[in-house]
Amino acid sequence: MADALAVADHPLSVWEGDGVTISEVTGALVRLRRGQPETATRTSSVTLVVVGVDEDEATAATNAMHRLGARHPGRTLVLVPDPDAERGIDARVALHHTEAEGHAVWSEDIRLRVRGPAARHLDSLIEPLTLPDLPLCVWFVASAPALHDPLVAVADAVLVDLRQIPGAAGDPAPALISLTRLAAERSLVDLSWVRLMPWRELLAGMFDPAPYRPFLDGVHAVEVCGLPGPRHLLGGWIASQLRLPSFAVQLRQEDHVSVVIAATADGRSGRFSVERRAGEHLVRARAEADGAPAHELVLALPTDTLPWSLGAALSRPYRDPVYEESLAAAVLLARR
Amino acid sequence: MATDAQDTGLPPNPLLAGISTERRAPPLALVVFGASGDLASRKLLPALERLASRRQLPAAFAVVGVARTEMTDEEFRDMCRKAVPDAGPSWEGLVKGFRYVSGEYASAPTFERLAQVLEEVDQARGTGGNRVHYLATVPGVFAEVAESLARHGLNKPSHEGAFVRIVVEKPYGRDLASALELDDRLHKVFDEPQLYRIDHYLGKETVQNVLALRFANAIFEPVWDRRYVDHVQITVAEELGVGHRGGFYESAGALRDIVQNHVLQVLALTLVEPPATIDAKGIRDEKVKALRAVEIMTPDEVATNVVRGQYGPGWVEGEPVPGYRDEEGVAPDSSTETYVGMRLRVDNWRWAGVPFYVRTGKRLPKRVTEVAMQFREVPHLPFQKGQARGLGPNTLVLRIQPDEGITLRFGAKVPGQEFRVRSVSMDFSYGAAFLEEAPEAYERLLLDAMVGDPTLFIRADEVEQAWRIVEPLLEVWAEGRPPLVPYAAGTWGPPEADGLLAWDGHRWRTP
Repeated sequence: MADALAVADHPLSVWEGDGVTISEVTGALVRLRRGQPETATRTSSVTLVVVGVDEDEATAATNAMHRLGARHPGRTLVLVPDPDAERGIDARVALHHTEAEGHAVWSEDIRLRVRGPAARHLDSLIEPLTLPDLPLCVWFVASAPALHDPLVAVADAVLVDLRQIPGAAGDPAPALISLTRLAAERSLVDLSWVRLMPWRELLAGMFDPAPYRPFLDGVHAVEVCGLPGPRHLLGGWIASQLRLPSFAVQLRQEDHVSVVIAATADGRSGRFSVERRAGEHLVRARAEADGAPAHELVLALPTDTLPWSLGAALSRPYRDPVYEESLAAAVLLARR
Repeated sequence: MATDAQDTGLPPNPLLAGISTERRAPPLALVVFGASGDLASRKLLPALERLASRRQLPAAFAVVGVARTEMTDEEFRDMCRKAVPDAGPSWEGLVKGFRYVSGEYASAPTFERLAQVLEEVDQARGTGGNRVHYLATVPGVFAEVAESLARHGLNKPSHEGAFVRIVVEKPYGRDLASALELDDRLHKVFDEPQLYRIDHYLGKETVQNVLALRFANAIFEPVWDRRYVDHVQITVAEELGVGHRGGFYESAGALRDIVQNHVLQVLALTLVEPPATIDAKGIRDEKVKALRAVEIMTPDEVATNVVRGQYGPGWVEGEPVPGYRDEEGVAPDSSTETYVGMRLRVDNWRWAGVPFYVRTGKRLPKRVTEVAMQFREVPHLPFQKGQARGLGPNTLVLRIQPDEGITLRFGAKVPGQEFRVRSVSMDFSYGAAFLEEAPEAYERLLLDAMVGDPTLFIRADEVEQAWRIVEPLLEVWAEGRPPLVPYAAGTWGPPEADGLLAWDGHRWRTP
C-alpha cells in the first residue's frame, strides 16, 4: 500500500497574491502551466475541495494529496475561511510535477484564504475552479457539515473524519447522529470508517474457514476497544451485520483498536480476535475453537495513514449501505 | 463473480458485506505440480504473496507442492520463503501451513500421499475440500497428471458445493493433432468448465484494456471497420535472445511460442464484435467467431504471405550479441524460426479486404507490443501539395507494453503565417491516469482461477481454432518452404518481411 505512494514530488512553480480576484487565480493557473518546458498531457480524475482547516491542517492535507498525486491526479482546492477579517481573498497557486514509475503526472493545488463575508459563501468560489466533467469531492477535515451547507449541495461526495469532529472524543453520539443524517442524503465517506477496513477484513476472514463459519450464528459477546468514535463504529458494524442486541457489545477505552468475539456452535466454544498491539504497525487476527485448529493472519498497516485513507476514500466516493447500518447501530451503542 | 455462499456451499458470512467488492478467493487448497520448478518460484509464489498482502487470500488457504524433487514440508516452506525475499508479514502465516509431496507423476503412491495430505490440509486449514490443481510441469506430463488425479478421485469435488479446477500452462499441444489429443485426454477426466488454460498475455491489464477502449467508448467502434481502417499492424517484439532457454526454444520456435497463443489472442481482441456481456461466455464466443474468420492459408499462400527468419549476430542496445545458432543449447545448423512476419486476411463483413500484418521476433531493437490501426486517407485533401507535405494517415496505436497507453496521430496546422499541416501525436498513458498498482498477470489469473472466473482463460474451441490458423505454416515449413531467412540481431527482422507490406503499398511502422 505505502509503496504505491512513494513517489518523487517537486513543486514546479508557485504564484501568490493577496487581495486577488478569482479570475486572477485562474489566469495564474494557465500561465503556470504554459510556462513549463515539458508539455505532459494532463490526466485528471478529481477535484478535491478541502474546507474547515487552519493553515497547519491545510498543509497536512495538501501534502497528503501530493503523496497521492500519481494515484488521484487532479486539482486540490484548500479553503481557509476567515469571516472576521477584512474582506478579500489571498491566494497561493502551485503546480506540481510527480514522477511515478517513469510517468510524469501534473497536479495543481490552490490555497485560498477567504476573508470577510465571502467566507460564508464558499460555494460561490468553487465553481470557476473545479475541473470540468470530473467528480467534486469536498473534505470537511474537522467538522460534520450540516445537510443544508451549500458546499454539501455542490459536492458529488462528502469526506469527513468522525475522529476529528469536535466533541466526538468525549461523547460521539451527536457526531454519529449528524453523520447518519448526512449519509442518508449524500455520498458520504468517513475516513475513520475507511481506516477500520483492515480490522473488518481480517475479522470477516476469520470466519471464512468451514469449521468456523457456524460460529457466526452463535455470537454471544463482543468486546471492542479503541478510541470513542472508531470503537462505536466497529461495534455498530458487528452488531448490525450479525443482528446482535446492543447489550451483547461491550466497548472499552484503549488507544488502539481491537475486537474479541466469543461464540458457540454445536456446543463448542470459539474465540475470535483482531488486535493491534502497541508499537506495532501490524494487525493480528486469531481464531480458536474447541476441536478445530487455530488460525492466524497478520496484516501490515500503512505507515502513513492519511494519504492511504484519503486515497481509499477517493477510490470509492460512493454511498456505503454497510457504513449507514453501522452508523445507526453505533448511535444506539453511544446512547446507552 | 459468484457470491461467497455459492462458492463454498457454506452459510453466508454477513461480515463480508461491503468488503468483497475487492475480489477475494474462497477457502481452498492450491496444488502446484512442478512446485520445485522455475515457474513456481519466479511467478506463482510471488503472485500468491502479493495476493496475500492485498488480503485477497482467505485464512483457509494452503499450497500443496508436488514434484519429483525430494523435499520435506519444511524444506518446501523454506523454498517458498526464499522465493519472496521481501515478503510482507502475512506470508509467513500462510507458508507455515504449506505442504509438499514428492514423487513421480505417474506413480500411484504419489497421489495416494497427495490425497492424504489434502485431507489433512482440509482438517488443519479448513479448506473445505476445494481444490485448484495447477500444472506447472513440463507439458509432456499434463495429461498424465490429470489422469492420475482422476484415478485417485481428486478430479471431482468430494461433496456438493465444493469445487475442483485444473489450470493448464502453455504450450497447449505442439500442433493441431497433439492439442486435440491433449484435449481428448483431459476431457475424459475433467469437464470443460473445470479446465483453465492459461495464456498469461490475457492477464495483462493493457490487453484487457483493448476491450475497455473498444466497448466503453462511443467514438472508436464506429470507425473500427473496413470503411475507415486501411490496414492493421500487430507487433510483439522482444529485444532479448533465447538466453538459457535455447533447448526449449529449439523445439518451439516463434510460431508456437508466441504466434499461436499471444499474437492470436491480441488479434482476436482487436477483431471481435461487441459481445453482449464481458463474461466467460460472451467474450469467448466472440473470440472464437473472430478466429474462425481468419482465413486459413493454402500452401502457396504460406509461401507468399509468411516470412520466417532467424537472428544472426548483431548489436542490441549498444552490446554485441551472438546469433541464434551460437546460443547455448541450439544446434549449429538449426532451422528454428525466431521471427515470423505474416499477412492475414479476415473474411467477415467488418474486416473483408483489410490486411492484418503481424510480426513477432526475438532480438528485435526493443521490447514492444502494440496494435496499430492505420486509417484511410481523407476522400479529398483541400490543401495544395506543399501545404500537406508533413501529413501522414491517421493512426491509432494501442500500446500494450512497455509504456501502456494509446497514441492517436492526426493532422494539425503548423503555427505561422503559412497554412501548412503536419502530423502530430497525442499520447495517453495509462500509468499517468491510474497508478493503482495493477496486478501482475499471474496474480490476476491465479485469483481468477481460484474465484472461478474463466473469462481470461482459453476455451477448447479457441485453442483448436488458433492451431488451425498456424497449422498450414507448420506443414509447409516442414517441406522447407519458404526458406528460413537471416536477419541481424537488433534490426526489425529480415528485409523479406518488408515485401509482405510493399505488395500492398504499405510499410512497417517503427514502434
